[in-house]
Amino acid sequence: MEELDLLKKLERVNAPPDFEQRVLALLSTRREKKKTMMKNLRLSFAGAFALFLVVFIVINVFVFQKKGALDFVDLEKNIPSNFKKGEAWETRNYIPIIEAVDYSTEIQSLSYEPQTIYILEQVSEDYREKIKY
Amino acid sequence: MSMDEQELVRQIQEGDEMAFTEIVKTYKNKIVNYLYQLTGNYQKAVDLSQETFMRVFFKAHKYKPIAPFSSWIFAIASNLAKTELKKAQRVSIVYLDDLHNSHKRGAFVENPYDSGLTRNIKQALNSLHPRYRIPVVLKDMEGFSLEEIAQILKRPVGTIKARISRGRNYLKIELEKAL
Repeated sequence: MEELDLLKKLERVNAPPDFEQRVLALLSTRREKKKTMMKNLRLSFAGAFALFLVVFIVINVFVFQKKGALDFVDLEKNIPSNFKKGEAWETRNYIPIIEAVDYSTEIQSLSYEPQTIYILEQVSEDYREKIKY
Repeated sequence: MSMDEQELVRQIQEGDEMAFTEIVKTYKNKIVNYLYQLTGNYQKAVDLSQETFMRVFFKAHKYKPIAPFSSWIFAIASNLAKTELKKAQRVSIVYLDDLHNSHKRGAFVENPYDSGLTRNIKQALNSLHPRYRIPVVLKDMEGFSLEEIAQILKRPVGTIKARISRGRNYLKIELEKAL
């Protein structure tokens, strides 16, 4: 096609003489920008993690504080005056009562086998020999 | 790809700026010319060429030597040109160069003796849809084979052949209208 031959004859342009310098300058700028961006990203992640940790600790320590048995005993003592027997169920203040149980001794004393009872009986009344049982 | 170029690419992948400069020297004129033929604006072509080489440097690790390195560079340039042409279609951009006919450091001077025919060809080429313009420029101006163009544009060879054929027909019709 004649037109295609003409396409080949269209003027070709060249890059400007300082093209390489411009490319290298741009490369240097982009590298610096990338380094700064990575540094900021790392700092942001560290900051976010630290904040999360602080919030987690605060929530666990101050908000979800677990009450000990003593606290409940104290509560039991401070029964509000409006609590009376026979009062409607829903108007009473409920005081949780926790009985402290020492499970270790309870379990130790628990045994499925019948206890063996040793009854010592004197066999001989002769006091010259050792007492045999 | 020659052994030297393979070695240069390997060095660029390791971040070697000297090797990168060699690649820029080798391809700068081809890329600037290619982008000029697609966009029709010299300054835009230079800006896009710089961006092309930036991507070559920062994404060199993604290059796999299954295709020639030149195909990979032209693929990057083509993608940038497509984005730019789509943007230009949405917003009508008037370049100062078109208004003032500025001459950039003597590297490009519009030919005052440009014949009407060349101007008509340029206009006909600019009127082509990028889908047809890009493969026509790659084939008829840059001299790539159909297989290379298929690798550059990531399309089947049959599709490239069809687009080039249609692009040439449209060019012919536009030129006949003008002449």
